[in-house]
Parts: sequence; C-alpha cells; structure tokens
Amino acid sequence: MSTSFSLAWRLFKHEARRGELTIILLAIVLSVAAVLSLSLFSERLQGALKSRSAAFIAADAQLRSDEPLDEEWLLKAQQEGLSTAKQVSTRSMVFNGDAMSLVDLRAVNNTYPLKGTVNITDEPFGEKRDTSELPQSGEAWVQSRLFQSLGLSIGDRIEIGDGNFTVTKVLVDIPDAGFSVFNTDPIALINLADLEKTAVTGPGSRARYVGFFAGDASDISNFNSWLLPKLNDDLHSWRTVEDDESAIGRSVASAERYFLLASLLAIVLAAVSIAVAAQRYAQRHFDPVAIMKTLGATSATIRKIYLYQILLITALGILIGLVIGFIGQQIVVSLVADKVDVSLDVWHWRPLVIAVATGATCALLFSLYPLLQLFSVPPLRVLRKDISTNLRSRGIQFAASGGAIFTLMWMYSQDLKISAILFVSGSTLVLGLLGATFGLIAVGRKLGSGKMGPWQLAWARIKRRAMDNSVQLISFSVTIMLLLVVLVMRNDMVSQWRSQLPEGTPNYFLINITPDIQPKLDRHFSDNGVKIEEFYPVIRGRFVSVNGEGVNTDVSKEDEPNREGRRGLGREANLTWSNTLQKENEVLEGEWHGDSDETFADGLFPVSVEEGVAERLNIQMGDRLTFNVGSEIVETKVTSLRKVNWQTMQPNFFFVIHPDAMAAFSPTYITSFYLPTERKAELTNLLKPFASITMFDVDARINQLREIVDQVSVAVEFILVLVLLAGSLVLIAQVQASMDERSQEIAILRTLGAKGRLIRKSVIFEFVIIGVVAGFMAAMANELSLYLLQTSVFQMQASLHPEYWVIAPAVGAVVVGILGAVGCWRLLKLNTSQMLRNMV
Amino acid sequence: MIKANSVTKVVNTSEGSLQILRPISFEVKSGESVAVIGASGSGKSTLLGLLAGLDQVSEGEIFLDNEALHNMDEEERAVLRGNKVGFIFQSFMLVQSLTALENVMLPAEIAGLDNPKALAIDILEQVGLKHRAHHFPNQLSGGEQQRVAIARAFITSPKILFADEPTGNLDAKNSEKIEALLFQMNREKGTTLVLVTHDNELAEHCDRQLTMNAGELVETTQSKSANKKEAV
Repeated sequence: MSTSFSLAWRLFKHEARRGELTIILLAIVLSVAAVLSLSLFSERLQGALKSRSAAFIAADAQLRSDEPLDEEWLLKAQQEGLSTAKQVSTRSMVFNGDAMSLVDLRAVNNTYPLKGTVNITDEPFGEKRDTSELPQSGEAWVQSRLFQSLGLSIGDRIEIGDGNFTVTKVLVDIPDAGFSVFNTDPIALINLADLEKTAVTGPGSRARYVGFFAGDASDISNFNSWLLPKLNDDLHSWRTVEDDESAIGRSVASAERYFLLASLLAIVLAAVSIAVAAQRYAQRHFDPVAIMKTLGATSATIRKIYLYQILLITALGILIGLVIGFIGQQIVVSLVADKVDVSLDVWHWRPLVIAVATGATCALLFSLYPLLQLFSVPPLRVLRKDISTNLRSRGIQFAASGGAIFTLMWMYSQDLKISAILFVSGSTLVLGLLGATFGLIAVGRKLGSGKMGPWQLAWARIKRRAMDNSVQLISFSVTIMLLLVVLVMRNDMVSQWRSQLPEGTPNYFLINITPDIQPKLDRHFSDNGVKIEEFYPVIRGRFVSVNGEGVNTDVSKEDEPNREGRRGLGREANLTWSNTLQKENEVLEGEWHGDSDETFADGLFPVSVEEGVAERLNIQMGDRLTFNVGSEIVETKVTSLRKVNWQTMQPNFFFVIHPDAMAAFSPTYITSFYLPTERKAELTNLLKPFASITMFDVDARINQLREIVDQVSVAVEFILVLVLLAGSLVLIAQVQASMDERSQEIAILRTLGAKGRLIRKSVIFEFVIIGVVAGFMAAMANELSLYLLQTSVFQMQASLHPEYWVIAPAVGAVVVGILGAVGCWRLLKLNTSQMLRNMV
Repeated sequence: MIKANSVTKVVNTSEGSLQILRPISFEVKSGESVAVIGASGSGKSTLLGLLAGLDQVSEGEIFLDNEALHNMDEEERAVLRGNKVGFIFQSFMLVQSLTALENVMLPAEIAGLDNPKALAIDILEQVGLKHRAHHFPNQLSGGEQQRVAIARAFITSPKILFADEPTGNLDAKNSEKIEALLFQMNREKGTTLVLVTHDNELAEHCDRQLTMNAGELVETTQSKSANKKEAV
C-alpha cells in the first residue's frame, strides 16, 4: 500500500470515527438516498400507472390503419417478443327482424385485449363483471342500449351485414371503447373470424384495422423503429400510452413530468448540500495540508492523499445512501401500496445507476474547487494562520458547479427544456442573491453601527463575512425555492386535475331529444329532483368548402389513399349554435359572436372554430366555410378561434354557428345530467316516457378517471413529502456547517465575557435575517420557475402565488432561525476552553 | 550549514509594496544553535519562513546544507524540507485527526523511511510519551503536545531544526521541561538549531543570538553559556 493511501486511510478512519466527516458524509448519503428513493419510487409508480392506463388502449401500443394490416408486421412483432392482438372496427347496421340500429362493430381475435378486461353483465344495465372470455364464432355480445332499442333478449338472433349471430352476452365495456359524446352507437363485439361473413368491410366501407402490441418498453421501441419506415402517415397511426390525449393520459403524463421534476430537484438539493459540505471539509483541512507540506510532502503526495480520501468518503457515502434510500423507498411503497391499486414490486436498475452516478459526480465535481483550494494552501500557513489559499478565482467554482448541475439534470431527465428552465431560473436566483447580499450588507453597515446589542452583532457578522454569507444565502434560497416549486406545482396540478371532474360532474348523456320533447323532459326531470344541464341544439351537416374551394367530403374510398385537394373533416360535423360561449371554452383569436343579431353584409353568419380542427384543416380567421345541412347551404365566416378543454366531460363542438344561421332548421338536442350512483335504479323510471331518446352512461368511466386521478395525487403527495424531507435535511446540514465556522467567533465572544443570551440572540437574529431574505428571494425565483414550467412543460395555466411571498420569508425566518438556535445551543453547551482547544 | 546572503522580503499590499526584511546576511555553522530574537513585527518569523524554505525570498541567496534554496521551486523545497529539516511551532501544529504516534510517524512516512512506526515509538519513548502514543492531540496537555512535536521534529534525524517560539504557549514549568528536552535532543542528534523567540532566557541557551529590529539584523552576540562552553 502506498504511503499516500495509508495516510489517506488513516485520516479517513480517524476522522470518520471522530465525527469530523459527518457533514460531508451526510450530504452524500442524503443525495444518494434521496435520488435513489425518489427515482426508484417514481419509476415503479410510473410503470404501474402506465400499465394501468395501458388498459385504456388495450395494449402498450396500437397501430391503427385504414387498410388491413400486413400480417408480416404482426409476425415481426411476435419475433421481437411482443404479444399481439387484432381488431377491426366499423359502423354497421344491425337488424332484429324489422328493428334496426347502427352499431360500433368490433371484431377481435382471440388474444384481445392485451391489457385491461372486457366487462359483461347478466342482464341489460346490470352489475358489470370482468370476463376473460370472448365471443365464439357465431356469437355476438352487444351493449345494453342495443337490447333496449332492438327489443333483444339473450339468445335472440341478429343480422350484422350478411352474417347471422346469436346474442349470448350483455356487453358492458371493452377497454379501448373510447369516449365521445357523439360516438353514440352501442358496441357489438364479434369474433374476428366471423368478420368476413358479414361482408361489412367491403369496398366503400369505412373500417379501421388495429394491431395491438404489448411487451417490454425496449422491445416495443425496437419494433417501432423497424416499423416506422414502412408506415404511411395518411393511413397509419402509431399510438402508445404516452400519446394518450385523454384526461387520464394527460394526468399520468403530467404526473410523470412531476416525478421527473422532483427527482431533478432532489439532485440539485443534493448538489447544494455537497457543495456546502465540501467547502467546509476543505477549510478544515487547510492546517493539516500546511503541516504535511512543511514536513516535506510534495503537491503530488497531497493530491493523492486527499483524492483517496474523497474517494473513500464518496464510496462510503454512496453505500450508506443506497441502503437508506432503498429502505426509505420500501417504506413509502408499503405505505402507498393499499392506496394505489397497482403492483409496485418491479425492480428497476436505472435509479440505482442514477443514484450512484449522482453521488459520485456531485461528490467529485463539487469537491473539485475546494480541493484545488486545499492543494494550493502554502506551507507558510504554519507560521501565519491568516494565509489560507493562493486560489482566488471563484469563476472556476461557479463554472464547475453550474456545469455539473446542468449536466446531471440533463443526463437524468434527457429533457433539455426542463433542465434549461430550472437551470436558468436557478442561475437568475443566484445572481439576484449575490446582488441582494451585497445590498443587504450595505444596509447592514448602517444598522450595524452603534452599541453592541444582538442585532448589531448579527449585522456585523453578516457584513464581515460577505462572500461566505452570500454562498450560504444562496444555498438556503435555492433549497427553499426548490421546495416551493415542488409544493406549489403539486398543489396547482392536483387542484387542476380535480377540477376537471368536480363532484356532480354529469354522468349521463341524453341525445336525440326533439324540440317537442325538450320542455317535457326538462319538467319531468326537475319534478324528480334531477337537474338537467344545458340543452345544446345539434344538427348534422356536411362541411363542404373553404373560401369556395371544395374539401374532400368522401372518406370511405379505400382506393384513394392519397387523395389530393383540401383536407376535409372525414365525417359529418355536429353543428351547434349559441350566443353564449360554452364553459371551459376560451376565444384565442377574433371575437366571440355573442348575441349580436347582425349578419354580415355578404350573407355570411359568424362561426367559431375549435383551434385544433382549424389547424388540421388549415382554416384561418376570416375564411368562408360552407356547410350542407340537409338540402340547404349554410354560408359562414370564421370570426373566432376557440380553445376547448377536451378533458371536461361535456359536449364539445368543432363549429359553433350564430343562431340566426340555423333558425330555419329543426335540431335535436343533447344534454347531460348528474345522478348519484345510489339513485341509479331510478333511471328506468326517469326515461320511461321518452322512448325515442337515447341515453348513455359515463358514470363508470368518470369514476375510473377520478380513481386514477386520486391515485396519481396520492403518489405525487408522497413524492412531495420525500422532497420536503430531503430539503429539510439539507437545511439542517447547511446550518450545522455554518455553525461550525461560527464556533471560533463564539469561543472568542465567550472568552471576552459575552453572555450566552447575547450570543444566542445574535446568532438567532443572524439566521432570521438570512431566512427572511432567502425566503423572499426563493418566492420570487419560484414564480419565475413556475411560470416557465407551467407554460412550457406542464401545459397549465400559469398563475401567481402572492401568498408565498409572505409565507416563504416567514417560514424561512422561523425554520432557519430555529435551526440556528438549536445549532447555537449545542455550541453554547461546550465550555469555553473546550471550544478554544477545538479551534487549534 | 545555513548561509544567507543579502536576503530581502518585499510583500505587496493594497497601499503599495512593503519591505519587511532589509538585506540580511549571516551564516550558521553545522551543529550550532542560533536564537533569532526581537520585538513583535521585527521580522523574526519571516526570516524563519525564508530560511526553512516555507517562503520565497524576494532577493538574495539562501544555502541550506550547500543547496541553493533560493533557486528551488516549492516542490524541490518540500523535498529538501522532508530530508533535512525539522520543525517545532508555538502552536504545536499537530494534525488533530491523527494520534500522537501517527503525528510522529508522519515525516518519516513522507520521507519514505523504513519502519516509521518503530522509529516513532522509539522516539516517543525518548520524550517520555510512549504511554500516550494512541491519544489524539486534544487529549494531551500543551506540554505533552509540544513533546510530541519535538519527537516528530527529530524522527527523521534532520540536519537542521527550526523552532518558532517553542515555549510560547506553555506555562513556566512546562517551558523549562520543553527547553531542556529540546536542547538535550539537539545535542544528542547534533542538529543545527535555529530558534525564534521572545524569551531571552531561552535565547541564552543558544550559542548565538541574532537580534532583529524593523526587518534588519542589528546585532549578533555570542552567548555567555557558549563562551563558557568554548572556554571549557
């Protein structure tokens, strides 16, 4: 063993035993434990949530196509180790004798569904249960509504296209049923083998062919890379759980981003605490280095000794951190297990690698500057204690620390945007704080003069240690800011999720309400104590031209996959008309047409278009849109573009026309109402007088949505607690570190006869001042980070949080003040000679 | 053994450059003990730092055992210190996280001597601290700490020993003990000793006194004891 290593080992052994490495070791342990527990937990949870939301597309990924899928593709997927399933869906008429109805026909093969379950019930509108079976050849499973509209019973024969089927089960739901108010046709499920005999997918029909894939993320991604070049954008679309644009998909996606954010912040917290600890570590070793150099140690020997020592500390810190992190994470998992209806047992290697890499990178990079300082301590320090180091440039320190944090964040998130946002707002905070510290010192210079009371002592200390204090202030502020970001983000996100589905969200929809029935229905419902939401008039119209240029209205011709000309809607549009802007709609461009009854001079009526469809169909403000409604032509002009919140459970429309344009037409109405689950039995009675109305039930789906949102919220809350815990520990470590620096001064004050009370008060005041400033600066930087995060990453409405401008400084003052008091109390317990001896 | 030729030290301060040592020349023979005395701020410690190679001269030459210290960089000076120089300081300068034994072993290890532990135990025995070998510095009294420092200084059998106020932090009783020990070991090992002190009594024990005042060497006197010794 080399001399350097044996010296390093001896120093390490004794210092560890004497508790001198506690702070730096604790910082590394904390960083590794926080990163491991957070990322392991979030990865497990994400995996679990993903598999849960995978149920909504019945697979991990779907390939949708307008023409039959190439069998070779499915074969390739199976070779890649994926499970596959197939479905063909189309709209078709179903006959039961003379009665007929349009259905959403789904023909599936025997492996369907890969994720989620098919639900059936024993009688129409009965209690649902899972089944692993599927319709056998010759069988059809149909939804309750079809039983109602066709007067069916189990065992009846129905005709679908050219095929005859026996109705054997009441279908409640299939996982990938989808949800749309206008997707009103009941589902009929048959075996894929029977599809051919129905002949409903012949030329001219509009069928969708879906391939389902499930397996490891890496296998899916491999298969996707292989498949992608073979796909035609006009015919095929590839969807994964991540592409899910539903409320669930978005909630899970934003939760994932939140977990990522929280883990990133944990990394920054870790980095801050290690930076503080490493600085202190280096300062404590100035004397030993000077002594060793005086005794003949060369720079190379010193470098080796301390590099070995840092490596030993890092290794031990990482080891303890991994153990604690794993235990912590396991505790959280066991706490959440009964709240989140998913298995959290899958082990992931990535968090382990990330945690080790974070600990090692932070420990080594953040120790770099303090170590360089240490190496440059001149031997002359043995004679003159005031000489500390020849290294003066803080530029290296800031560049190395900033670079390290950014690299870590980027490496971990693989998301340049999130990393850049956090980094920019963090850097702004650091610069702002440097300015603030020096401003504060200038103010303090005035306040600090005069008789030596605790306030004056506190100010004098802050003034004297301007640079040290600014570093300390920055680390406090960054910690508080990160905690604020995680806390406020969680509050905003969870309340936004919850507001999507407030209590009393309509859980039943009624369609096909004719104008003559509408008032009766309204009255009948209110007599029965059920509040009906707004009635929306709906009429089907064909969107035919933009500025006189015809659009493709035919969508069903398979022989024209690459149609030329302007893109059309692809189906009939559900047109509505209103003077009032619907809830959760926001005009982005132009002006809402309101109740002005003026038509345009050229006979055009105002229409408001949803932004997404406007973009897809290349519709601009001021464009003339023509619709065919029955045999009439309705000419409109785009006067506004609207943003629609598709995540709300309410009817949304692409086109809302001025009511005057539609006066001549007789619409049907669509409405929704809320009925508590316990009153479900009243439904039959409620609807009895209105046989022509179609009702559909989204209660189960809303409950499912709410359940997932709740579970994601619980998970987010646990992550929040973890980060708060990590942040508090970092604060404690920082106060401890700075207390150590203060011990010398306290020893001198004690020796000079200062009362414990005076010292304690002055230290508390100093920490209170630092806490207030750090809290306020953190609140400001928090607003900047949140604005950037909410608008660019989470796609949320950005909001100001003025309450935190007061709360953060107050909490900063109290928490930092208390920590200061506790640290000070520990020092004051030592007797003066002990303290003086420790100083040597 | 030590030769200083027109040695000066100038430091740059915010108010311009400040000459803290004016040209100083003197020689110390092998085995001789020299005390550098003078008031606070007279430049004693600065001179010691330069002679020991802890600091770089601004001008002039210093030869240590015929080696030109003034031409060496910090690395070369470190090697020279490790091989030929021992130190004793007013504030003991022990590494707090190493035991007494390990502190004594330190220079031997750095110099790459064989069996540093045995050497250290042996020399700790000579200073009467073998029984405290495994104590840490803060578990030892001031006098004990300085005895450890003396043991550390002699473990590599240096040719030259520099001592900066070796009794400055000790009470009268301990000062006497340390003085006695220092000079005894110095005699036994035949070391050349350069000692900086305020203490005239301690200075008297040396062969010669160099008196500093405001950065200048103002007087060189032979000790009475040295004269006696010579007379003997």
